[in-house]
Parts: sequence; structure tokens; C-alpha cells
Amino acid sequence: MSELLDQARRVAEKARALGAQEAKVVASRSRGVDVEWRDGQLERLSDTTDQSLSVSLYVDGRFSTHSTSDLRPESVETFLSQAIELTRYLEEDPARSLPDPSGYEGRSTVDLELFDPNYEQVSGEMRRAEVAELEALARQASSHLGDKVISVSSTVGDQFSEGARVHTNGFEGARQGTTFGASVSINLKEDDGKRPVGGGYSYRRHRSDLRSFEDIVAEAVESAEGKLGAQKVKTGSYTVIVKNKSISRLLGALLGPLSGAALHNKRSLWEGKLNTQIVSPLLSLHDLPHVPRGLGSAKWDGDGYVTHDRPIIENGVLKTYLIGDYYAKKMSQERGMQIQRSGSGLHNFQWSYGEQDLKALIADIGEGVLIDRFLGGNSNGTTGKLSFGCGGHMIRGGQLAEPLTEVNMSGDIAGLWSNLVAIGNDAYPEGSAHSPSCVFKQVQLSGV
Amino acid sequence: MISEHAHKAGEASYKGNAEEGIAYFRAFGVDESLFRAAFAAALSRGGDWADLYFEHGISQSISLKDHKVDSAFSSIGLGVGIRVVSGDQQGYAYTEDLSKDAVVRAASSAALIAESQSAASRFESQGFEVQTRANRYPISQEWMDVEVAQKVPLLTRLDEEVMASDQRISKVNIGLGHSTTAILIVESTGAIHFDRLPMTRMNLSCTAEDGEQRESNGYNLAGREGFEFINERRLEKLKTEAVNRTLFLLDAEQAPAGSMPVVLGAGSSGILLHEAIGHGMEADFNRKGISIYADRLNTRIAPKGVTIVDDGTRQHDRGAINLDDEGVEGQRTVLVEDGILRSYMHDRISAAHYGVKPTGNGRRESFKHTPVPRMRSTYMCAGKYDPQEIIKSVKRGIYAETFTNGQVMIGAGDFTFYIKTGYMIEDGKLTRPIKDTNIIGNGPEVLERTDMVGSDFEYDEGGWVCGKDGQSVPVSLGMPTVRVSEMTVGGVNA
Repeated sequence: MSELLDQARRVAEKARALGAQEAKVVASRSRGVDVEWRDGQLERLSDTTDQSLSVSLYVDGRFSTHSTSDLRPESVETFLSQAIELTRYLEEDPARSLPDPSGYEGRSTVDLELFDPNYEQVSGEMRRAEVAELEALARQASSHLGDKVISVSSTVGDQFSEGARVHTNGFEGARQGTTFGASVSINLKEDDGKRPVGGGYSYRRHRSDLRSFEDIVAEAVESAEGKLGAQKVKTGSYTVIVKNKSISRLLGALLGPLSGAALHNKRSLWEGKLNTQIVSPLLSLHDLPHVPRGLGSAKWDGDGYVTHDRPIIENGVLKTYLIGDYYAKKMSQERGMQIQRSGSGLHNFQWSYGEQDLKALIADIGEGVLIDRFLGGNSNGTTGKLSFGCGGHMIRGGQLAEPLTEVNMSGDIAGLWSNLVAIGNDAYPEGSAHSPSCVFKQVQLSGV
Repeated sequence: MISEHAHKAGEASYKGNAEEGIAYFRAFGVDESLFRAAFAAALSRGGDWADLYFEHGISQSISLKDHKVDSAFSSIGLGVGIRVVSGDQQGYAYTEDLSKDAVVRAASSAALIAESQSAASRFESQGFEVQTRANRYPISQEWMDVEVAQKVPLLTRLDEEVMASDQRISKVNIGLGHSTTAILIVESTGAIHFDRLPMTRMNLSCTAEDGEQRESNGYNLAGREGFEFINERRLEKLKTEAVNRTLFLLDAEQAPAGSMPVVLGAGSSGILLHEAIGHGMEADFNRKGISIYADRLNTRIAPKGVTIVDDGTRQHDRGAINLDDEGVEGQRTVLVEDGILRSYMHDRISAAHYGVKPTGNGRRESFKHTPVPRMRSTYMCAGKYDPQEIIKSVKRGIYAETFTNGQVMIGAGDFTFYIKTGYMIEDGKLTRPIKDTNIIGNGPEVLERTDMVGSDFEYDEGGWVCGKDGQSVPVSLGMPTVRVSEMTVGGVNA
């Protein structure tokens, strides 16, 4: 860690010596190991090491960013000289300057536990044994599907990464972390030749926090089996439950237009909507950057500013945009008014969870559609229009019925989230979004 | 300039000769003794063969916003990927440190895929043979010889012209990026291959406002060329397409929902092929039995008249390759011939599995990735129908003109692509403009329903990027106008 921090300091000093007035430097390195097992034998083994240096330069009122993985000392000096020379050709941008250092102060002292002290104990033999065990469990758990099962594969992997950031106006920070992952895929074959696949995974900061292999396998079997015999939906308007693990697609469409870049480029349907009701009052969404072992946890953001818990949406009211230091300055200058920097980073989410689990939600709506996957499509952050491919199940009589495929969901972001009528209590255990299943009324689905 | 480093390292200009490649990488301490040490470690536990993939890539981009070229980005990537292959199994490691110790350490990690100790010194007796290749992307003017000061006016001129073209245009963003990637592939058989891959990309996006209505769209162009890529025709096309596509949206609405005929316009609708058939014909999925096309070789998968090709030989094309990332010659591969599935796209592993020659589709994003079968330039050959006749044949459907993205489920065959702009077809005529509509279908079913193929084949010049296994590679595509008799349109107001 101190070695990377020293390297970042040296590069920042060198950049100034070569003519930059200010600089931001990030030095990082990582090692990752992944093992893949397929149909009873080792398929792939990879062991990789990364190193990189990223530099942002402020030269005579101009700005540029550069990265290199060629870290030989003579190369780094040449790299910096050329980068500074390039920057001088650009036009000035008065909004480009390092963030106000007052924002660096007050960093949390909480231990985020991003590093698993047992990381070094993981051996090649352990990974091989686990990846084989995972595949064998999946094969066993899907044995009732007989010769429909055409391939089962599993992966186990881990990564160690560390990085140091230095700003020439006083910011210094270093962090290291680990991640561990395990996943399984089950490929089936139907009589008509279609070969649906189902998967399950777990991905955590600490190895001991990984979900049990039995849980991962159960998710994969349910996912694969649930696609057998899928049909098209009848085109129409439905009450739709979007399953917890899939809601991130709709969440991304909702939050993407909050960015400083979208607002500055007039590509946000949320412009002028701060502190107004933009979606259903059922939705509250808080960003929590200091969750121990959280995949999105961080004590500082991309500007070096300390992070804080904050509401993004509260009872359907938009509480903040996601504007970093640069776009705050840029828009303030352009519009002749002070635009507050609010921080562009999102970390770990906490939702306004409901009382019911997925089964109860399904029973509650009685008739409708469960969406458990998205496939392609897009959303337009400027207008809010969206159109996504998806699949799932019909819901009839309060229970899951026939599986669905080749479904299209269309509408607009604001309308969809305004039609949110229920939120589950089933936060998905993976990722940093901790999403629950959500129920939307009057959703346009296309099929036959 | 930032790219001078490459010039010093490369010294001589590229002629597609591996000897030049060895000279190029010698500046980074790469030589024959390193190859020998790496292979000795890589094959120390056995394995059928191994390869080393050295890469040095330089990229630079500048961008304009708010009428100023005020930001730039550059990157340098240097490293080596080491692969050991044993049957269908692969051990892989990479390092960005090209010292002998680091490379041998990485090679020893890759070696762990092999179980036997019997072939410890097998590489020692072999020599190296350099391979010379044709060059499908000769450069007239290297980007390294172009000052940033020459690039800036190109962007500011475009910005001024776009802003002046229509008073509804309120924002313009323009980007110009280029890269040169040198690769040196060393096989344990002793073959050595070298290539330098140029790429230039320009993008222009704008926002238009009309009262309270606001829309954004854009256009981009890309190809394997140097500074000569920038010419008046392309600049005009970039500007015109970006503006027209943005203004078009102000009058357009989402398509109606449901199942209906879809006519795909010539050019970028090649995305249909890429998603509906292309990925499913990558041989790794078929080798594993998980593609919907796994047992369809030499059977009819499309009507007569449908011929589909994946081609790495088109000069200066974004998907062109002199050789793939395993050292295999770039080729033109006929996938579907008059409706019959004739070939998958192979890398060396899948080719060995099927007992055929590799097709030059073994591609990777960088030394950080293993090569896997990937598309290059995928297109459908022209058919016999007048495109107007195809439109006239549709009573009620949609005409899809431009696209942004697509995705496929390889095994199930379900795929989507997103229509950015198009028209309704009513009583055989193009009528209302449509936008932002996803289309979903099933690959084999859609191919079977491709019942009219137009005579107006067109390549698309856009900067398409294909993602697979976490890797992105540049690809291109092309298509004549075609009719699909029925697809699900993700529209509104059913």
C-alpha cells in the first residue's frame, strides 16, 4: 500500500515538475484467479496480475486524462511529458480545477472490512475442489431433468486489488480489497431444439460471506427449469412483478438521467425536478457508502470528497442529482447560478422495503406477469421512453403459471415508476443494490 | 506527441513482417531468450501447445463540448498473455511486467492447466519461424505524425456547421479517437506473427429542442485507417446523419405493440444477423453443445436465397484483420449458403475439436483475455427483390432504419435489437416516423421468416462494438433490405 502511495506521490510531483500546475494520480494493481469447470473436468484456469497508472493533468487552464500500464521509470517520465505537451494543444476550460480541498476533510474512521484477512489462505487446490464440488452439486440438483441437461459448468474465483490516489492540493488515500465469486450455469435442451440456460451466483468481499453452494445451485436450477416450454405473452397491459434480481435494469433507467453529464448535455428527463414528486410515493432509495463489507462501499468518491449516507429519492420525491465537482462548476458558469456539487457516486442502496415476500406478492396480484430477466432493449434518458426485451411467467389465480419468452416491455421511465404499487421485503442478497421485487400496474407488454 | 514512444519502439514502418515485430518489441526487452524461457515454463507440466501474445497499444482521443475542444484522453497498454492448451482446456495468465522473472512466473501459472510432467523440455529443440502477411489496412498518414493542433479545427468546424444547420440544435458533442495496436504472437511450434492494427473513430451527437420537446441522437463512423480516414465525404456524412437522425425524433412516436411484419432497411440492420445468427454460430458455443445451432450444420436454417458471410478481408473495414489473435490468417467464411448452414466460426481449439481448419475468428480484446471465436464483418449477400417492392408487400408493419444495440441468448436463440428510427408501413407505404422501439425474436424462427431479400446490399460504416465473455472487439456489418414476415414489436398502446 505505502509503495503505491509513494508511487502516486512521485508521479504527482513529477507532473508538476514537468509543467502541470495540478494533478490527480491513481496507482493501482491487482491479482485475480479464476477456475472454470465444465461437465466433469477443468475447462479453464486463469491467473492474472494488473498494474496501472492513471493521471489527470491541469495545465495552463487545460485538462486531460491519461493511463498507462508501462510502468518502467523511463517510460513513465516520457508518458508524463508527452501527456502534458498534448494538454497544451487543447482549449481552456475554466471549470477544470481540482476540487476544493475542504471536501476532503472528515473522512470516516469506520472499518469498511473491504479486505478479507483470510485471502492468503486460498490455495489452488481449494479452488479446484470447490469448483468441482459446485458443478457436481448442480448436476445432482438437476438430475430430475434427465437428458434435458446438456451441459453444467461452474466457476470459482477471487481477486485482490489495491490502489492509491493523490491530488496535488492535499488529498491522499489508499485502499485494498478482496472479492470472491462462485457461479454455476445449467444448459438444458428442449424437444424443439431450444437450449435455455439458467444460472446462479454469489459475489462477496469476504469468502465466508458467499452464499452456500446449495443456494447458488437452487437458483440456477429454478432459473433453467423455469424457461422450459416458454411461450409468448398476449400483447396487452398487465400488472407486472419484476423479480428482485432483475429490477436493476429499471433502476438504471431511473437513475442514469440524474448524472451531471446528462443534465449538462440536456439529456435528462429529470431536469428541473429536484424536490418534486417524480415517481410513486412508495419508493424511497438511500445511498449508504459505509456498509461494512459492502461491494459498493467507499470512504471517498471520485473527487476525493468524503462520502455520506444520503437519500436519492424519498417517498417518490427526488432529493438529489448525481453531480460531481466538474459538472457543478461547469453548469454554474454556464447558467450564471450556483449549482451544488452533490457527488456522482452511488454505493450501496437501502430501499423502502415492504412487508411481503415474492410468493405473497404473486398471490396478492392474482393475475399478471412475473418478469425474471431482461434481454436487450434500451431507455432514452432525454425523453424517458423505454423498450426492453424480457421473459418470466404468467401469474394466474395467485400462482406462477406458464413460462414466458420473447416479451417486450414498453413505456416511459416516469410512468412506469409512478405506477409502482408494491415493494417486496425480499432484498436480493447479491450486488450492492439490495433490490426487492417490485409490482407495477398497467405495464405494456408485447408478444402475440 | 504522446505517440512518439511507439515510433521509437517500432522504428521501421510496418510491412506485415514478423521480423519487424521482433524489432518493435525488442525495445521492451522482448527477445528470443524470453520466448524460450516462457515456453519452458508454460509447457513444463505438459500441454498440447502454448502461445505468447505480446501487445503494445496506444490510443488517444479528443472531444468537443460547448463549442470547445477542451478534453483529451490517452492510454498505453503493454503486456503479454500466455496460454497453455491441453485438449479443450486452457490455462491462461497475463502480466504487464515484461521482465523475464514476471513472464516466467505467469507462464508457470498458465502451465497449471496441464496435469502431466512428461513433456518438460519439449520446446528446447524448436526454432522460430517468422510469418509474413498481407496488409489489409495500409496507412497513408500515421496518426503519430499528426499534431493535436491539426485535429482541433476539424471538430470546431463540424460544431459550427451543425449549430448553423438548424436552430433547434442546442447541444453538440464531438469525439475523435484513434489507436494503434502492435501484436506479436509467438507459438510454441516456433511460428511468429506480427501485426499493427490501426483504428479511427469519430462520433457526433446532438440535442435538439422544439418548444418543450427535447431529443438527442447521433452518428459515428469507424475504420482501420490513419489520418486519411478523415475526408470531406465522411465529415459531411457524420454531420448530416447526426442532425437528421436527431431532428427526425422530434416528429416520431414509439411503434404500436404486437406481432407484425418488419422490413429491415439496408446497412445497419445487419445487427439482425449479428444477434440472430452470428453469436450462435461461434463454434465455442457449439463445441459445448449450448448453441441453438449446435446440431444444425449442413441443414437448412433459412429460405433459399439467404447467404450469410463473416469476412475479415475487407480492406480498411472496422472488422478487418490480417490475422486473428492466434496468428491464423483473416478469412472470408461463408456461414450460410443459400439457406444451408455451412460453417461455424472457429478458433484453434474449436477447429481441432471439429477436425477442421480454423477460420481466423479467434479474437480477443487484449492480452488480458483468452481468444474465443468472434465475428469480424458479418453480412447477408444481396437478393433479387427491389427494396420498394418489399415495402409495398407489407399491409401493416414497420420499417426499421437505424439501430443502437442488440443482445442474444445463445442457447434459447432469443434475441433483441433496438430501433432508434424507422417508419410505420401502412398499405405498402412508409407513413408515420417511429422511434425507440425494441424488437424481440428467436434466431432460427426469424431466419425462417426472412422471406424477401433486397438487391440493395449496403455496408454500414459505424463503430460497432461486440461484447462476449466480458470482452469487447470491433466488428462491422452489412445487409440488403429484407422482410421478416413476423416479429414481436415492443411498442405501445396495444
